Amino acid sequence: MSSDCRDFTGDWDYRLLPANVRIGHDCWFERKESFARFRSEQPTGLHFGDRVRVYTWTTFNVEPGGSIEVGDDSILVGAVFMCARSIHIGRGVIISYHVTIADSDFHPVDPDERRRDAVANSPSGDRQKRPDFTSEPVVIEDDVRIGIGAIILKGVRVGAGAEIGAGAVVTRDVPLGCIVHGNPAREQ
Amino acid sequence: MARESLPHDWFDRPLPVGVRLGERSWLYSSFAFLHCKSRQPSPVAAGRDSGIYNGTFFDLGPRGTVILGNHCSIVGAIFCTNRRIKIGNFVFISHEVVLADEDAPHPWQANESDEVHGDPTEDGIVIEDDVWIGAQATILGHLRIGAGAIIGAAAVVRENVPPLSICAGNPGRVVGYVKRKSR
Repeated sequence: MSSDCRDFTGDWDYRLLPANVRIGHDCWFERKESFARFRSEQPTGLHFGDRVRVYTWTTFNVEPGGSIEVGDDSILVGAVFMCARSIHIGRGVIISYHVTIADSDFHPVDPDERRRDAVANSPSGDRQKRPDFTSEPVVIEDDVRIGIGAIILKGVRVGAGAEIGAGAVVTRDVPLGCIVHGNPAREQ
Repeated sequence: MARESLPHDWFDRPLPVGVRLGERSWLYSSFAFLHCKSRQPSPVAAGRDSGIYNGTFFDLGPRGTVILGNHCSIVGAIFCTNRRIKIGNFVFISHEVVLADEDAPHPWQANESDEVHGDPTEDGIVIEDDVWIGAQATILGHLRIGAGAIIGAAAVVRENVPPLSICAGNPGRVVGYVKRKSR
């Protein structure tokens, strides 16, 4: 069995993407599967600046109400985006392997509501009946570097030039130029 | 030099020139070299009886190489380096493990010069014999993991790990030692 190499080398036809995905000049997307869970119904669900590179492990899981913006010259290696409303990535940002960025917890805290969510979310369930979940925008400013396996949770703003260490779990804002490590992420 | 292909490969590419696999060693696919930009004579050299399984990637920079010993099992690790990573014999490396030079690495591009940091004769990460690395662990920088050591799942290791120790957590710390039953 031999596969179509184009799927894995960024040579596939980007025009296959939905109309609400806007792509700048000289962007490169390794695999179309990155967009398999893109369900945004917003006028612009995904907006890439110029020269953005997106590697095979990255996925854009975007809910109907969500939109993601990625600035010029950013490199997304293994960024898993879980987006209910808004995730903003600045310019020159590097997101390394196995990173997760989520702007919502996607499930209610209350156990009874969560049980309703579990039923509505089952394969034969009615997703319209899912209880509301809260979302707080995530903003990653310019030139941030996000280390291997880091997790960025809802409502977090990471200031320009900050560095998120490998394996860090970021639950609060990270000031400009700050270096944070650990779970929960703290300045060293 | 002829470029070799794997008989069982689903990915329609030959192996990079100079990749060596010892007797009875198994590599799942040339897909492992999707981002390999190594310009070294032998980007990856594996000994005999080693298995390199699904999900493993050699995202090597122009100066990067990986030397793998005998009887190793690599079950989906990512090697992202512009240095030399040396793995001993009888080593287990689990799922989603990343071995890299720095916290936030990315694959090299074809047009990047090999002037960038890195020396083909410099060892970056050295993993000695009988090491066991748990799932999602991250091994960073310039360090040595001593023979027989165990790295816990999701540990982030930035410093040398002594032989026969158990290292876990983020940051990775020695949390115990193992004793050999024999010897």
